[in-house]
Amino acid sequence: MELKCKINGVEVALCAEPTARLRDVLYKEGYRSVRDSDDAEGFAGSDTIIFNGQLKYSNLILFYQAEGADIKTAESLMNGREINYVQKAMIAAGIVQSAYNAPAAALILTWLLEKKPNPSKEEIKDVLTSIFIRDAGYEHYYLAVKLACELRDFGEFKSEIAPSFRPNLEVVGKPCGKIDGVALVSGEPVFVEDKVPENAWCLHVLRSPFASAYIKSIDTSEAEKLPGVAAILTAYNTPDTHYMQAGQGNPEPSPHDRRLFNMKVRHVGDRVAGIIARTPEIADKAASLIKVEYEPQDAVYTVEEAMAEGAPLVHNGEVIYNAGAPADLAEFNAKAGDEREGKVVYQFPLGADIHKNIAASNKGGIGDMDKGFAEADAIVESTYQTSQIQHTPLEPHVCYAHIENGRLVLNCATQVPYHVRRIVSWVCNIPENKIHVIKERVGGGYGSKQDILVEDLTGYAAWVTGKPVYYRNTRAEEFYANSTRHPMRVKVKMGGKKDGTITAIFMEVCANTGPFGNHCLTVPMNSCSKTLPLFAVDNMAYDLKVFYTNTPPAGAYQGYGTPKGTYGIMMAMAELADKLGIDYRTMVEKNHVSEGYMLEILKGLGEGREGNVVPVGSCGLDEAISKGCDMIEWGKKEVSDDPDWKIGKGFAMIMQGSGLPGLDHAEAIAKLETDGTVILNSGGADLGTGLDTISAKAVKEILKLPMEKITVVSGDTDSCVFDTGAYASSGTFFSGNASIEACKNLKAEILKEAALQMDEKVEDLDVRAPGEVYSKATGNAISYGDLSHAAIAGDGRGQMVAHGNYVTTASSVPYGAHFAQVAVNVKTGEIKVQKFYALQDAGTPINPEIALCQMYGASMKSIGHTLYEDMKLDENGKCINANLTDYGTPMIGEAPEDFKAVLIDVDDAYGPFGAKSISEIACNGAAPAIGIAIHDACGVWMRSWPMTPEKLLHELGKI
Amino acid sequence: MMIHHPKTALEAVELRKSIENSAYLAGGTDDLRLGSAAEGKELIDINGLDESYDSITEKDGKIYIGARCTLQQVVESDLVPAFIREAAKFCVSFVKRNSATIGGNVGLRRQDSYMAAALTAADAVLDTVTPHGEIEKEIGKYLQSDCKCFIRAIVVDKNRTGWVKRFGNTSSSHATLIAAQSGDKYALSVSGSDFAYGTSADLADTMTFVDDINGSAEYKKYLAKIVFTLGR
Repeated sequence: MELKCKINGVEVALCAEPTARLRDVLYKEGYRSVRDSDDAEGFAGSDTIIFNGQLKYSNLILFYQAEGADIKTAESLMNGREINYVQKAMIAAGIVQSAYNAPAAALILTWLLEKKPNPSKEEIKDVLTSIFIRDAGYEHYYLAVKLACELRDFGEFKSEIAPSFRPNLEVVGKPCGKIDGVALVSGEPVFVEDKVPENAWCLHVLRSPFASAYIKSIDTSEAEKLPGVAAILTAYNTPDTHYMQAGQGNPEPSPHDRRLFNMKVRHVGDRVAGIIARTPEIADKAASLIKVEYEPQDAVYTVEEAMAEGAPLVHNGEVIYNAGAPADLAEFNAKAGDEREGKVVYQFPLGADIHKNIAASNKGGIGDMDKGFAEADAIVESTYQTSQIQHTPLEPHVCYAHIENGRLVLNCATQVPYHVRRIVSWVCNIPENKIHVIKERVGGGYGSKQDILVEDLTGYAAWVTGKPVYYRNTRAEEFYANSTRHPMRVKVKMGGKKDGTITAIFMEVCANTGPFGNHCLTVPMNSCSKTLPLFAVDNMAYDLKVFYTNTPPAGAYQGYGTPKGTYGIMMAMAELADKLGIDYRTMVEKNHVSEGYMLEILKGLGEGREGNVVPVGSCGLDEAISKGCDMIEWGKKEVSDDPDWKIGKGFAMIMQGSGLPGLDHAEAIAKLETDGTVILNSGGADLGTGLDTISAKAVKEILKLPMEKITVVSGDTDSCVFDTGAYASSGTFFSGNASIEACKNLKAEILKEAALQMDEKVEDLDVRAPGEVYSKATGNAISYGDLSHAAIAGDGRGQMVAHGNYVTTASSVPYGAHFAQVAVNVKTGEIKVQKFYALQDAGTPINPEIALCQMYGASMKSIGHTLYEDMKLDENGKCINANLTDYGTPMIGEAPEDFKAVLIDVDDAYGPFGAKSISEIACNGAAPAIGIAIHDACGVWMRSWPMTPEKLLHELGKI
Repeated sequence: MMIHHPKTALEAVELRKSIENSAYLAGGTDDLRLGSAAEGKELIDINGLDESYDSITEKDGKIYIGARCTLQQVVESDLVPAFIREAAKFCVSFVKRNSATIGGNVGLRRQDSYMAAALTAADAVLDTVTPHGEIEKEIGKYLQSDCKCFIRAIVVDKNRTGWVKRFGNTSSSHATLIAAQSGDKYALSVSGSDFAYGTSADLADTMTFVDDINGSAEYKKYLAKIVFTLGR
């Protein structure tokens, strides 16, 4: 049907099916700000528009209902190319990060300010109930509204946006906004979906209804006859190449235990067939015509089931080692089962035993555990259980692949462009020079886009069919066919003396990796390697095992295993303090490490190899604990007026890393362009965190150029140089340092060239704003533009280009302490987080406003995991709450009443400009802080997350 | 998706009765959402009907809430008793409240309904159109029936006072249990389980509780037993 309506003040005629969703129509018409994060669930708000004066979800409006309507999208906020005052304030406040729904948020806030020019906090909160923010939390949205009002009323921001650091630097440590902020908040076509042409074919995946089954046969003949079907891919016509989807350094500490399609499905939602079709409707029809005969097998869903004697085996095929094969491998393989099991290929030993469902294992320690426990006056031994959690990025996993000039081009939303290229190269059996990966803006990753979950199949589909192929996970697929946080069982045994000295700590970690071993060693290793080094304890040991099961797959998730290890070890310490009758804070302060303490425990905690033993470097732990205790008034008992509500306090010390010393590698190229501007090509992958801004700030600080003369291109495997990617908190530290190296080297090139052109000595020259070389000896100067122009002339020596690369064995560890005050209703089990204070030593926060928002966002995630989020599986292994509403995603209603993020000022020796990582560590504190606070409130130890009211009532003996 | 566009309430209800697999379409927040029970059904769009269904009015001490009033209109209305406005806010999303209608929420008869408990405790009456004429129905009886009538308005006493309490995993998730009391009337909506009302606080004894993703039967029963003892 055709209808007329007004969009952004212009009368338009639109044509679509009457029952098409208005969002889809608007997006196709070019209103790119109207996005979809929830498949019309009416939850995330990315599809928000103003419809006849009211904010509405456009996914819940049918096309015919738009007849005569007055519609406004976020594009209406622009005046030409200029964003409006609210959008400017949002960028300034640091909330435009991954920004998939930032334009929708801007529209909502602009609407609010038009209705209520000076809204109260409650009024702001009320409209923000409409929108799901996962990356930056909600706190700085209040600041953004305040800043918008100031900009509107006074023409400038008056409030402090964030604290500033390093007065000797111009932009580093100062809130300056994000260089891609305007593009993101205005709704420019910067995401993968925006790059998909009309003629793209769609890829649809037929998925397994069984948790474990052999495929007896697949008949695709009827489906293939369907007009508009290009190909159907199955285990029978795709390569017998075993690989893994974890985006890790090569060789990976993850087993290659899957093919594109396997002959055995291992979880509900596992791939059975890939249909490349002209339209989604044809693909659906084709899927319904595929006849699959399954041979169901018994399945296991928990580590307890997986480790049981005689348990069904998730993998039982041939095992291959590319290095370090055990002597009895032939004997081991003689017990292999059905050939449809496939293979498991290890790059090096991971302590695996697939005949016991063990995907990886490790154990080690320092000191004498028996002696340590013998010296203890009290010992606690408790087990802590964590649930399966989904990342829920607002942009689901998505990929567009096509062939161009004989090469495979992939537009990706990825944290690891170079790992994508390598793995697609393996899967397609084509060399890397034939693959071009373009990392677009990433609408949220949190570790899930560290894994190559959709690029492998999409790339292969395009390569074999020659068609442009587009794939996008549904929101439900994000839950059951993607990756998740490993559920873990963490057992902690801890002994201590009456004076609070901890004498020994033992951690036993059992992790559930699901059907495939993505990150199966690294994640549980982090449970120990990012927790035990917090303790200055002589006797510490760990024993970790990772089990295959038939649950939806697990993989990388912000924090890796650290949130779970931190939950266990901090709760155990609080339990020990309670048992010994001493103050928990006293015990923390008595046992934590400080600068210079040699971390012997790290020796065994490498990723399948020996770890680096290093001393503790810069460390803001003491200050974080002390300041946090003051803020929350540690030791002061709060009492509610209502006797049913009990109030308690807790905190946890936390740490993470800044990349993987000895493993990570980052590179960048800086080029002086012909007019004296600079383009920096960074291998790093900015997934909304401001990494490109860090690179731009490096150029500014070192080459003294105005920001508008600096451009950063990143994550493009053709134009940039290698970088392991944005994971393990490596972005700022590794990619940032590589950018600095490139800039320093370019500066050296500039000075060398200037010395020749100016007939001066290099040592007499330096650079200065606004981008020129000057002589300290003669006072002469030459602009970068003139310098570059001469260098590329017919008789010039060539463009000034410099390469920087960064590797290190140095370890810059961020530390912090997170504090919670909770109120617990002992009658109903309700738990309210009244206060949450996140204090972190991030070294020099290069983008402090963005850093604060990441602390809020990651803390909110952590609060969500602690209290609400839980993937629930039925008895057949099917996820029964695969949507944002039922899964328990926290929204603004779950934000603590008093929420503060505080940056502890520490200057690190190795980090770029003294910086360490920021965001990932903030996932680690909420569970123990809240758990300890609940105990303080009502005397119950919550040893399982999510800590629901129902579980609390059980612990209280009420049910 | 087949959409019908009746011109009158009577035409709408006759369509609803004659098409077994059909549902009324008002705000669309439930009918058009992912995983809706209305998926695959023919929809009877009532948005073109009488505009009076969009307003909240007062007459003779009664408040008439047009069935097509959005939950946000209910929240903002000074006429509507406070605890009913509070119930409308159980639909926590402001944008969703701009579309979701009170009639739609009642008509869905969901056991995690935002409004059912509060309106039932308030002794609300439904002003309906049926093929047999205009009929007033007690909301409690309507909710426990499969009546396909067309709701024009929900009528409550202006001065009705009461309270409503919701338990749920998060503010945005489906409620586990919603309880309401007004005068001597008690009402309970329990996710995946039951809806009950009466003049005794011991409603839990008459109800069936079932495990679902929002909680175990044991947990729901416990809440149902203690909720009316909580101080207000």
